Amino acid sequence: MLAHALRPSFPVFRPGPRRPAVVLRLPMKPEVVEMNALLGRVASERDRTAFAALFSHFAPRVKAYLLRQGAPASVAEDLAQEALLSLWRKAHLFDPAKASVGTWLFTIARNLRIDAIRREKRPELDPEDFMPDSAPAADESLVQADDESRLRLALKDLPADQIQVVELSFFADKPHSQIATELGIPLGTVKSRLRLAMSRLKRALGEAE
Amino acid sequence: MIHHHPSDELLLAYAAGAADEALSLIVATHMSYCAICRLRGKKLDSLGGALLQELPPAPLGEGALDNVLALLDQVEPYERPRRAASRDGTPAPLRAYIGGDLSAVRWRKMGPRLSYAPLFRRGNVTARLLKGVPGADSGAHSHHGSEFTVVLQGGFTDVTGSYGPGDLQMMEDGMSHNVVADPGEDCINLAVTTGPLKFESLLQRIAAPLFGF
Repeated sequence: MLAHALRPSFPVFRPGPRRPAVVLRLPMKPEVVEMNALLGRVASERDRTAFAALFSHFAPRVKAYLLRQGAPASVAEDLAQEALLSLWRKAHLFDPAKASVGTWLFTIARNLRIDAIRREKRPELDPEDFMPDSAPAADESLVQADDESRLRLALKDLPADQIQVVELSFFADKPHSQIATELGIPLGTVKSRLRLAMSRLKRALGEAE
Repeated sequence: MIHHHPSDELLLAYAAGAADEALSLIVATHMSYCAICRLRGKKLDSLGGALLQELPPAPLGEGALDNVLALLDQVEPYERPRRAASRDGTPAPLRAYIGGDLSAVRWRKMGPRLSYAPLFRRGNVTARLLKGVPGADSGAHSHHGSEFTVVLQGGFTDVTGSYGPGDLQMMEDGMSHNVVADPGEDCINLAVTTGPLKFESLLQRIAAPLFGF
């Protein structure tokens, strides 16, 4: 009586086989190394020159991100400054071996936007309070520092139509159905382009798909 | 062991900050149990970082840097808020909404074997906790809109499979199921619906609106 109405139309995620933890590691982009070192100096010495260099690089990118999200120019300007001020306040929490400043700032700007523009809370993980998991531990400590660099390289190789849906999914703050309408393509096409893009990006990170 | 995970699309919406508060709560609660999805989430954050880096910069107004430099001495270093640890293993993102542990929830009865506790409602989207004693049965229902469920305690089984703590189920618009609580502990779920449920039994169709379903 029930199964008739069931249509498994959405792709289900199944974790793939684990690759060995030792992956061939690209050297981090020099820019990531430099930015991470600058933030290290902000954390350890409260170095204002290092902060100014980070500000000059990142504040205009954070502002561009907020403008893409539809923030009015004055709001984007204020929030970009606030995001960089947050970077100063939180610098001691940053671990340059595990993350890149760009990714970290992205998460700060994303949360500021939800808080300030959408006036909602974003339920966040508490890194010190996870449930015990009997699954083989995904190595959360490895990773990250060079993922951003790998992804930037991989993005350059994606076809333009795939980059477009990835960007819109991240930056447009609208459902895929609306993205489809605006691009004048069927919803299924948006989803299949996104799926293709995601599997190429995962491959770039050395993951099974 | 977690068997049911969020789709790439749902995880991406959370990473991008496009998911609304209720869906974000679903994903964050699942991730509190699931190391695999925490890692998937971090990779998507890195994708956000990569896209941010590739954006053409939008110059700030004159004096923006001086503005911020002038503020540096006036702000305190950030301190992570200290929270008391959960005594009964309630995931942290959810505790903020319950105002404490699962044991602090004030349950409302809806029948002899089922109870619920509303968390919040935003427009059509409702987040609530549901509890069933072993063998309790939700009644066959389908959905206007989607239903997202994360198991917090015990487990349940329906036509799509069996779900235990941390597992996430997504039922899309129009899909139909009858959820039965597994033997053992009471089954407690976090459930988010984006529209009212459609029950097949007449009695439940009459009663559902009374309980806000």
